[in-house]
Amino acid sequence: MKKLIFPIAIAATMLFSAFTVYTATTWKIADGYSIKFTSDDPAGVFSSFKGDISFDANDLAGSKFDVTIDVNSINMGNGMKNNKAKNENWFNAAKFPAIKFTSSKITKTATGYEATGTLDMKGVQKPLTIPFTFANNTFTGSFSINRLDYGVGTDKGMDSHASSILKVDVSVPVTK
Amino acid sequence: MKKAFLHGILAGVLASAAGIIYFNIYQNTQGTEFNKIVNVRSISGVSIIACMLIALSYWLLERFKKEKWKGILNVLIALLSFASIISPISMSLPFDIKNPELFPGLVVPMHFFPALAFFTLVPFFKGK
Repeated sequence: MKKLIFPIAIAATMLFSAFTVYTATTWKIADGYSIKFTSDDPAGVFSSFKGDISFDANDLAGSKFDVTIDVNSINMGNGMKNNKAKNENWFNAAKFPAIKFTSSKITKTATGYEATGTLDMKGVQKPLTIPFTFANNTFTGSFSINRLDYGVGTDKGMDSHASSILKVDVSVPVTK
Repeated sequence: MKKAFLHGILAGVLASAAGIIYFNIYQNTQGTEFNKIVNVRSISGVSIIACMLIALSYWLLERFKKEKWKGILNVLIALLSFASIISPISMSLPFDIKNPELFPGLVVPMHFFPALAFFTLVPFFKGK
């Protein structure tokens, strides 16, 4: 019986400790979200977006974004442009059907928050910081990326007419 | 002038009818929603204006006794109709409209309806 005291004590400690761990609120992505990218040319939207969002302003350490954009949902308002965007030179949607952002750290800033993490696009993973705000159950963020960093298109030939720097505006309403 | 006007307006109505019928068939079979860009009013308006312009050109040739040029005018109308398809193929629709790749399939045939309707009615308005 004495042999069992310590194992039971350890198990009990772990069990009760589990209830003390504070988890950030998990949010469900609601309809009406928008992921827009703009530049002189091109501009468009991604209409399919999913993922897991855990966020609590009082527990930023426990907060996390793990979201995915469906590359095939790109809409630039023109069929030819959409097809071009999905081809091998640009997003190569057949091989890399998703753009993924996973946060590793969320910090408070003077104007809102910043999510630092990794953006995985066309098989290239690069660190990215997204400033955002959270109000009325809606995450709103805006940042810029250089498509050439991810091998999306080139800066030669016809591609040179397309802006390298794209501004991305994200608005994601959420529900509990 | 009266004959040209009647020819133009009847061809416009015919082209509008063809356009509206095609528009409804296309939208229902393809499941598209392009009503924001193309609708009954815009189809009718553009068809009637195009047919009236063709009628005016015909009338001008008759007025200045250049009826032999009607063949050249017909070729020009056909070429302009063909050239005009560049516009729907290259235009960018609002981003909230799904399946923009299906838009040219809706609009391109309509670009030929005014000329087709006008040429179809030519025998009925021939002669002095």
